[in-house]
Formats: sequence, C-alpha cells, structure tokens
Amino acid sequence: MDDLINPAPKLYSRKTTVRDKIQPASLDAGDREPIDALEVFEHIRDITDPEHPYSLEQLNVVSEELITVNDQSGRVRLNFTPTVAHCSMATLIGLSLRVKLMRSLPPRFKVDIYITPGAHSTEAAINKQLNDKERVAAALENPNLLEMVNKSLTSCHQ
Amino acid sequence: MARLEQIQELPGHGDRAWSVAWSPTGTTLASCSGDKTVRICFDATTSVWEIQGGVWEQVAVLEGHENEVKAVAWSPLGTHVATCGRDKTVWIWEAEPGHEFECLDVKHGHSQDVKMLAWHPGGQVLVSCSYDDSIKMWVDDGDEWTCQQTLSGGGGGHDSTVWGLAFSGDGWRMVSCSDDLTLRIWSCPVGSGSPRWRLLTTIAGYHERTIFSVDWSRAGSIVTGSGDNSIRIFDEAIVPEGASSEASNSDPASPSSSFRMVVNHADAHSSDVNCVRWHPLDPTLLASASDDGSVKLWRYHP
Repeated sequence: MDDLINPAPKLYSRKTTVRDKIQPASLDAGDREPIDALEVFEHIRDITDPEHPYSLEQLNVVSEELITVNDQSGRVRLNFTPTVAHCSMATLIGLSLRVKLMRSLPPRFKVDIYITPGAHSTEAAINKQLNDKERVAAALENPNLLEMVNKSLTSCHQ
Repeated sequence: MARLEQIQELPGHGDRAWSVAWSPTGTTLASCSGDKTVRICFDATTSVWEIQGGVWEQVAVLEGHENEVKAVAWSPLGTHVATCGRDKTVWIWEAEPGHEFECLDVKHGHSQDVKMLAWHPGGQVLVSCSYDDSIKMWVDDGDEWTCQQTLSGGGGGHDSTVWGLAFSGDGWRMVSCSDDLTLRIWSCPVGSGSPRWRLLTTIAGYHERTIFSVDWSRAGSIVTGSGDNSIRIFDEAIVPEGASSEASNSDPASPSSSFRMVVNHADAHSSDVNCVRWHPLDPTLLASASDDGSVKLWRYHP
C-alpha cells in the first residue's frame, strides 16, 4: 500500500445538529426558507476523504462554524482545514467541496472556498486555484480528476 | 444621469458564454461558449473561419498548444494572429496567402496560464496577461519576438490574476483588470528611447468580485464585467486647467488623471459577466457575455 500522507488521523464523532433558529410562524407556505450555514454543512459533511474511509466531518476538515451564508445576496464562504499542513490532497478536497455545492445549491449562489488560515503550507496557491473558475472548469474536463471527485462525493455513510 | 439600457438578449448557448467579439465594422458579433458551439475556447486548436457565399467555413486550424487556448487576437492590419493558453505560452502566427499560417515564435515568458491577449492599435506591440499576476509587452526585434517590458510586482503591478486588458483609442494608454478587484490605467509617455509603460492610476473600491473583462470605447469610456454580475462604466473626470497645476503630481509626462464611475448596473446578468465589448464604431453600443448562457446588447446613455 502507498504511504499515507496522514497515517493516523484524529477522528471526531458525527455531531447531532439542531436548527436553533425557530422559523417564524407567519411564514407563508409559498415562501422559500432561506438557505443557512447548517444547510450548506449538511451538503458537505458526508463527503469522503480522498485518503481515508471517513467523512470530512469525522476528520474535522469541515465544520458548521467555518461556513457563512448570506442568502439575500447569494454568497457562501467556507473554510476547510486539511488534517496536516503539507496535505497534497488539499486541492482535491477543495475541488470536491466546490463541485458538491455547485450541484446542490441554486445557481444564484456564489461560493468562495478557502483553506482555514494557517492550516496549509501552500495556502495562497491553493486558494487561488480553487477560486479561478477557468482552472476549476479545466480540472473537471480531466476524466481522472472528475472520477476522483465523484468518488469522494459518494457518501461513506451510505 | 448616465445609464445602461438592455436592448436585446441573445440566448442560444446551452452553457456559460465565455466571450464575445465584434467584427471590425461591427456588423457581426461572434460568441463562444462552454457548449463548444464555436470551438475556440476549450480545445488545443484555433480555428480560422471565413465567410464564403454567406456561410462561415473553417479555412484553417492552428495546432500547437498543449491544451486549451484561452484567447486569440488578430493584429490590427490582419497580418498576424496571436494565441495564448493554459500551457503558459504565447504563440505568434503570420497569416500568409492561401489560408496558410506560419508560426513565427512561441514565447514561454509567463510562469502560469496566459488569460488574454491584445494588440496595440499600432500593431507593433502584443500584450499578454496571466494567472502569474503579470502583464508582458512583446515586440518583434527582427529575429524573434522579445519581452520588452513586464508590468508586475512592486512597480504598481496587480496583486492577483490579470484577466483582461484594453487600449485607449489613441494607443497611449492601457487599462487592465484583475482578480485583485482593481482596474489599473497605464500610460506610455512620448519621449526618446524605447517606450516604457508605467502606472498612471489605480481604480479600486467599486468591484465586489473578480473583474473578468474590460474594454475602452472610442469615446473614452471604460466598461467592466465582473463576477458580481454587474456591468460598470467609468469616465475620465475633466480636470480644470488651474486645478492640475496644484495637484501634487507635477510630472508633465503623466498628467493628473481621475476616473469616476458613471454607471453601476447591478444584476446585468444573473451570473458572472465574463466579457464586455464596445461596438467598434458606435461608442454607445455594448455587448456582454455571461455564465448565465446569454449574450446581451446594451445601449449606453451617457
């Protein structure tokens, strides 16, 4: 077996999440519920890590606190935290996050994905690449890369 | 009050529209898209088309780039074609009779993908801009095309990817747009020796997301297309005769210049605006292309 980048990652348990915001009773049936950080988190928590059979939530790569959403202006910003600072999979994880949200959120949402500040040795380069849409489009035209992304998006809990 | 009025929406692309281009007389508008209906963008080849009896026929294919070609530009007199791509290179081709194209030079000066190219209106200088945050000016020195100047880093260069650039009608100034959310205006003062471009002014604080495209009209208006779905127009403020002498900038080679935003058309498209292009003859007509798949025509009422 290939050498793993992080042979023994620390595991976290899957959290039970509660929606602490009580939806106003006056909300008409036809009104759309605004998208919030919890909803975005639900979309990405079960993405499988490229190296381990665990979810990004279990490895603490993603968490609800690192997501901010402005429903009105259609903006999502999320940070993710690679388990080790030299993780060569960081770009692939970021790409998987971007693809999952591209497929899950309405098209009016613009998503910015960044490494949690200080969590990676080549943070700036990875951030630039993940937020350049031509680079992302080119990456997804690469069949091998797309297959790896799709494999990550198959939840390890199913 | 200056405003921008949508006069037509041209649907038709099944995917994001990357780019639009007017023909020199402005009678034809070409667009390309991720749906590959004009195969210029996501392919390692560049196709040359000619209208023959009312139908556009592919008359040549320029091959050489390792992967996708990001931009292509005819020189003002139609004697040269320049292409650039994700393989970090700039290629200069000479158009010969009989639809033959000879590659004159391949330049490896950029360290990352080259996003866009433009010819100086004089036709002597080719400019490229890149993911490596720099702008490079290329000139033919007889034997080969050499990089005459690089605009980057401490000399007033952009802090992130440079996505686009355009020249003013007289060719003495250039504007560039970037992922750093600024526009930069460069000027090339008249003087002895080889021309050197330098930063004239930076326009910051207007754009919320990446500026993907910029164009300069014959009437002097600068238009931008941005990842915040907006189209904005900037005009140069007239500096009164007396006021300019009081300005701290007393260098006669770079007269004081200030641009102000005159139009902020929010939600011009429902997604990123990838390309904005003024009509070549009518400075009130504008075309835009977007990730929402549409191409729109706009009337600018100054």
